[in-house]
Amino acid sequence: MLAASVIFYAWWDWRFVFLLFFSSIVDYSLGILLENEHDDAKRKRLIVISIAVNLGVLGFFKYFNFFVGSAAQISNSLGLRANYDTLKIILPVGISFYVFKTMSYTIDVYRRTEKAERNLLRFTTFVVFFPELVAGPIVRASRMLPQLRRDHAFSFERMVSGLTLIASGYVRKVAIADSIAPLVDIRFAHPEAHNALSLLLGVYLYAFQIYCDFSGYSSIAIGLARVFGFDFGINFDRPYFSRSFSEFWSRWHISLSSWLRDYLYIPLGGNRGGTLLMIRNLMLTMLLGGLWHGASWTFVAWGGLHGAYLVLQRFIAPTYQRVIRALRIPAFASNAFLILLVFHLTCLGWIFFRASSFANAWQMLTGMASIHAVHLADIDNRGRILKCLVMVGVLLLFEAAAFLSKREEAVETSPMMRLAFIAACVWVVLIFGSFSGNNFIYFQF
Amino acid sequence: MSDARRAVIWILALVTVTIAGDHLLAWGLEQVLVRSQFRYSRLYRGGNNAEILVLGDSRGVHSFYAPAIEELTGVRALNLSYNSMSPRIAEAILLDYLERNRAPKIVIIEVTCMHVTGTLTSELRTYASLSPRLAALYAEQHPVAARAARLFRLFPLNSEFFLEALHYMRRSDQDWIHHDVMPASLRAQRGGGWNIQPRPENVDALVRIVRVLRERGIEPRLIIAPYGGEGVPVNLELVADVIGSRTGVRVSNYGGAIADLDDFADHVHLNERGSRVFLSLMQRDGVFGMTQPPPRF
Repeated sequence: MLAASVIFYAWWDWRFVFLLFFSSIVDYSLGILLENEHDDAKRKRLIVISIAVNLGVLGFFKYFNFFVGSAAQISNSLGLRANYDTLKIILPVGISFYVFKTMSYTIDVYRRTEKAERNLLRFTTFVVFFPELVAGPIVRASRMLPQLRRDHAFSFERMVSGLTLIASGYVRKVAIADSIAPLVDIRFAHPEAHNALSLLLGVYLYAFQIYCDFSGYSSIAIGLARVFGFDFGINFDRPYFSRSFSEFWSRWHISLSSWLRDYLYIPLGGNRGGTLLMIRNLMLTMLLGGLWHGASWTFVAWGGLHGAYLVLQRFIAPTYQRVIRALRIPAFASNAFLILLVFHLTCLGWIFFRASSFANAWQMLTGMASIHAVHLADIDNRGRILKCLVMVGVLLLFEAAAFLSKREEAVETSPMMRLAFIAACVWVVLIFGSFSGNNFIYFQF
Repeated sequence: MSDARRAVIWILALVTVTIAGDHLLAWGLEQVLVRSQFRYSRLYRGGNNAEILVLGDSRGVHSFYAPAIEELTGVRALNLSYNSMSPRIAEAILLDYLERNRAPKIVIIEVTCMHVTGTLTSELRTYASLSPRLAALYAEQHPVAARAARLFRLFPLNSEFFLEALHYMRRSDQDWIHHDVMPASLRAQRGGGWNIQPRPENVDALVRIVRVLRERGIEPRLIIAPYGGEGVPVNLELVADVIGSRTGVRVSNYGGAIADLDDFADHVHLNERGSRVFLSLMQRDGVFGMTQPPPRF
């Protein structure tokens, strides 16, 4: 498995395999040192070294040019003539994911909630395990290392279950996300050429593009791991059915949001320490979560917006509940309203996430506000949009069925039902898929 | 039964069900496809009796407005042009048409598509099961996808053409034309001066088309439709000369025939009004009338 993972990664760029090995060896060694050490001060120094090395690697490869560029902009705006050179740095694929994975390992060993792994090959396999290497999910050592210590006999049930996940992932990625991609690209590239309704459709479609792209990748990764006998858990749980932003973040990119909660928000103090500290902790967590996604201020703004949503929700939710009770509004109506509200506010955030700059985001927002120029006939690619909306509708129906029945999966679990489901997925991909070779969006993170 | 044996049986069943279902679904969708009023569905269904046939790329689509041709001439016209159609594809389309339908009297070809590559073949794969010629062109341009299309028959139906066919199930697509007028931003644009670079394989295909038409007693009309303002290629006369000498048919060059930019949707496409003006010019020049023998260059 280790050899397969290394070949898989080297296929993209063999030079960065050494970075993977470096990261693995550093955290493997620090893990053992942390476990053996009993002096708290020394242990603290060791964990600081681990965090510094991990964040140093991430900072150099992912954020060096961003911070240098931002510093240059600030200097120039202050009238200082500064000459900052940027470097031609290639962003290693999956670096944000495997750095978080190794960092959480050493923190767990430091907290003594995880035993240090003594087998270097096993530890390296944990770091480079190919299904999750390039775009997650961020599977923690506490879940993965015990599985790597076990033997894995072939299981028919696991294979069928894994293939089902892979098939549903391909439908989301190839049939839905990649069909939507060109419709979204053209709207964000030239907002001035589209009317308000067309831009609004572009934003809605992007919400489903990114969801289907990333949840599709996650399904494929989790399914592939399951075929090999590994359990990664889930990474998405019908996030657009969330009734609050805290619920949204417990359903969207679960492995990242739980990582941020356990290794950033709670260590910062979490909800303890009063309202102001709670607001600071929430905002800081979400701003850094935004920055994790990419070296751009638009990602920071996206994170900040979600931080603000989470803060506001804490203050508004009790009043909202009182109003609902006083007016005797039925639960389903309240839930439907909240689902729509959370979805639309999430879409507002996606504008910043997708926009190439703040100017681009502003163009989208002002374009959508120009409601005087709405003509259905002026919307380009109506046929393709309709096709995408139908597919999104079918996806939501499947998710709603599972959501309302509170089942984990919408598909029956018997092997024959799964066979029929996979065959149907192949047909859907064949007839609706886009085969233009689009990358997964999260590969860039 | 061991898990490995169960897995083998299950995978075999999956492959069988997938391919059988694919063929069954594709068969059903192909029945829908050939019943459409979309131009190529009509072509492959057969039974058309147009007297004037039009071939070309998007300039062919928007210059030769079929309803206006019928109004002017009183005979049936069928426009088989499509965006990015190269003469090589037009050749396959024409030969297929002649095999399945009554031969037209005149075939109008908009010849500025000489520089177009075969990008449209990926769309025409939808009809590849009905046309060995299109299948061969598709296999030449996309060998891997063509092999996939032989295994999975749903794959060729994954196209813009299939969506068009569904859209035109109950009504004709012959009314395609721009209705809008060239916007001010385009009118203000300067810096034309571009050249058409005819591709040798396209010129060869056009020569073959003309030969086939003459052998069957069908009159070829090689036309250059009008360009608007800055859109006129610099070497238009030269291109007309080259094509005329290679095919032995005089090219009617209307490249600069219409000066009013209100007749254009952009620099290279007429709108409905412009198309009507252009067609009346062609009528005046006797392009729609039969001339025997065909004019020699």
